[in-house]
Amino acid sequence: MSSRSTGNSYPATRPEDAARASGNLLEVRNLSKSYGPVQVISDVSFDVPRRSVVTLVGENGAGKSTIFNILSGLTGPDRGTVRLDGKAFAPASHRAAVAHGITRVFQEQSLVQNVPVYENLLLGEEARFSRFGQWVDRDAMIRAARRIIEEARLDVDVRRRTGDYDFSTRQSIEIARACLTPALLRGIKEPLVLLDEPTSALDRRDEEGFFDLVRKIRQYGSLLFVSHRLTEVLDISDVIYVLKDGEMVTRVTPEKTDEHQLHGFMVGRERATDYYYENRQQTALPTTPALRAEGVRVLADGPEINLEIRPGEIVGIGGLLDSGKSRLGKAIAGVIRPIGGQVAIGTGPLRRPEIGRATREGLGYIPAERLAEGIIPSFPTAWNFSTGSGGDLFSNRFGFWRGRKERRAVRAHIGALAIRSATPDLAMSRLSGGNQQKVVLARWLERKPDVLILDNPTRGVDAGAKQEIYRVLRDLTDQGVAIILITDELLELIGLSNRILILQHGGVVAEVPAPAEDKPSEQTLVGLMLSDPGQAPSHPQPAARDKIPAPAAPETHLEAAE
Amino acid sequence: MTTTPHPQGRTFLSPLTSLFSRVETSLWFPIGVVLALFVFFSLMTDSFATLRNFSAVSGQAATLLIVCLGATFIVLMGSIDLSVGAIVLLVGAVSVTVLNALNIGWLVIPFAALVGAGLGLVNGLIYTKGKIPSFIVTLGTLSVFSGIALTLLDGRAIQFNAPGLENISIGQWIPRLPNIALWAILAWVVLVFIGQRTRFGRYMYLIGGGEQVARTAGVPVARYKLYAFALSGLLAGFGAILAVARLGAAGPSLGSDLLLNSLAAIVVGGTSLAGGVGGVHRTLIGVLIIAILDNGLNLMGVSQFLQMIIKGLVVIAAVLVSRKSGADQVIK
Repeated sequence: MSSRSTGNSYPATRPEDAARASGNLLEVRNLSKSYGPVQVISDVSFDVPRRSVVTLVGENGAGKSTIFNILSGLTGPDRGTVRLDGKAFAPASHRAAVAHGITRVFQEQSLVQNVPVYENLLLGEEARFSRFGQWVDRDAMIRAARRIIEEARLDVDVRRRTGDYDFSTRQSIEIARACLTPALLRGIKEPLVLLDEPTSALDRRDEEGFFDLVRKIRQYGSLLFVSHRLTEVLDISDVIYVLKDGEMVTRVTPEKTDEHQLHGFMVGRERATDYYYENRQQTALPTTPALRAEGVRVLADGPEINLEIRPGEIVGIGGLLDSGKSRLGKAIAGVIRPIGGQVAIGTGPLRRPEIGRATREGLGYIPAERLAEGIIPSFPTAWNFSTGSGGDLFSNRFGFWRGRKERRAVRAHIGALAIRSATPDLAMSRLSGGNQQKVVLARWLERKPDVLILDNPTRGVDAGAKQEIYRVLRDLTDQGVAIILITDELLELIGLSNRILILQHGGVVAEVPAPAEDKPSEQTLVGLMLSDPGQAPSHPQPAARDKIPAPAAPETHLEAAE
Repeated sequence: MTTTPHPQGRTFLSPLTSLFSRVETSLWFPIGVVLALFVFFSLMTDSFATLRNFSAVSGQAATLLIVCLGATFIVLMGSIDLSVGAIVLLVGAVSVTVLNALNIGWLVIPFAALVGAGLGLVNGLIYTKGKIPSFIVTLGTLSVFSGIALTLLDGRAIQFNAPGLENISIGQWIPRLPNIALWAILAWVVLVFIGQRTRFGRYMYLIGGGEQVARTAGVPVARYKLYAFALSGLLAGFGAILAVARLGAAGPSLGSDLLLNSLAAIVVGGTSLAGGVGGVHRTLIGVLIIAILDNGLNLMGVSQFLQMIIKGLVVIAAVLVSRKSGADQVIK
């Protein structure tokens, strides 16, 4: 669409581009910003060359989102300058930034669930499609939206309700909107797309589409990218900037670095090779299982799942987003009612699971969607912490709340888990994702559980906090806690689990042992996740991320939200 | 990354954990409104700042306060109870009928409270078992309860026949303070304690702030919703019998102004209809604002119709001013 999209080589070499391409699309110089006494970023400078992918990496709280907020007009810097296309750029609002060709995909989804996809794609652009002032030309909108969807190669019907699509597809829609509306609708020749952790919610198929899209955009525009997934960062970036505690640590190119070194830059310490503490992996004892699930069904047409986990064991559950693995976790914990099946905790009887009773019997459940199900952001840390124990630990039998005990307990956990900047009274929204997750973890640690079910416990969590969470999980297994780990992060799945169950369409298609000395490879697991359940995945699967075969018929997956 | 630290902060939820040691800063504004109204009416009319008038105001405000206490918990947990006025009417009608038929004397007080709790429980059961929005449920029962009550009363006011019973409301164990106001203050203290220092209170905040979060953490959400509706009904029943004792009869207009006044008082006090923010302690201030406004405007001789206009504007203005400026929240 863009006038310069014909060239597909990078870096640009054609003569007519040379003049402009010599400069940078975006130049950031000496940017500083503080909120009250807290210096969030100080003296940050970086460049985004034309037609390139630039990545900012850093731990949570390193200042990446603040930089994005400044660039997208949500806030202004205290000091420093931004130049876009050679001109000073200081957007007064998000709208102004968008008008200059800077679009952004936020970490949290911002699509309206109840309207058709095309309305979401063209949100804020309705004026373009109105005739006689008010009359909106729906057909033209649908045509324009279809072009965006086709350009992004998504399998989406733009007239369907947005909420009908699963989380991953919605994320793809949002990415397509940010990436393609500037060029396709507003005629911006060199858009700059800001992507804040865009892939953390994508399943593998959509991830592949995303990387295609990135390549496409890079032929005419630039992308500024924030991600915790370093392998992917190394794959797609032209330049990587490392931020630490609000300061720019270094600028590297992917050819000259590796994941290991980047981790070192980010946390300021060489990352131990035993990131997942594999040497501490327990061997499960042949004792009575800590949890037994029989005949659990999570999808209406799905098979029954039987599951036993023993004290000290971590059972990993992997699968695509529509595999039903999150539902399985919720069903076993009793957060949702399974379609069928029973669960026994410890020596208890087999019963239909119910979360309230399960927690009393020694189970803890950490949901994947932290902001919707894990924490109440506006409430104090202490309140969020004590939520799981209101019925016993923190109230007496007359129903009186034991506030002093609550505060003492939360302080102890803040210390033990190194939950930075948390106090009992501080609203959870003020904590970083990693620290919020530690509070959720503390909620269950306080109960000294026998079984923990974790759904993507490190989603949106920085490298340092991740490793601390892994350490806590190993401590728990040392004490004989049984853990069910549901995760989309393959390395985490492999590194932490004793054995791994691969789910497809609500059923277990494979069980892979993963002893510390003989871990399965990523390729094996990806192969199992994508394999046709009918046949064994015998043919060698192509290597990890970037060459995953698209399934023959991409089915529309409707993971009903409960 | 961290969520963007909001410059405006979230002081409105500065922890309510310790009740008397800290007063929320956001409370100063509504308290200021009460004082301003007080000064204004004192200057405008001679009869406002008199002991006799205070007795009258406290008597009028007491029923409203008692009824609002339970309803505040409902609003706090993100639901709504439109039926409190109807419960007052029905409990009043039933109590008078029973009192005249059985001559149970003082026992009518716990009887009324229990009938109220039962009606609240009906609301709660339909709400939690039927999974119908509380607005619809209580809108329906509002009509049902009123209809039953008016059938019982046959559209007329019925006097009760129990000598001395009126003393529980209009007697003055503390000089110049009608007993009904004393009851209201006692109920307020107890309910503030329940709100701030008990499991029930905490769960109300949790359910209002994040029902899904509470449920995922194992909080028995449905059971506590039932409790809340039963409590709301119980207090409405208690308020009803006190109002009946004060008036000496139950008539068709009993509780008719409670629907709007209770919601107005709760919201003006600072409990958000979105749930999770506010509390019973604040509702006292809302009730005072509504009651003083009513009384003061009456004394000034303002017409009923103009009073309605003023009251409506005050409700909107109070919420407008106390709302956090710049907070980009979804308003429904």
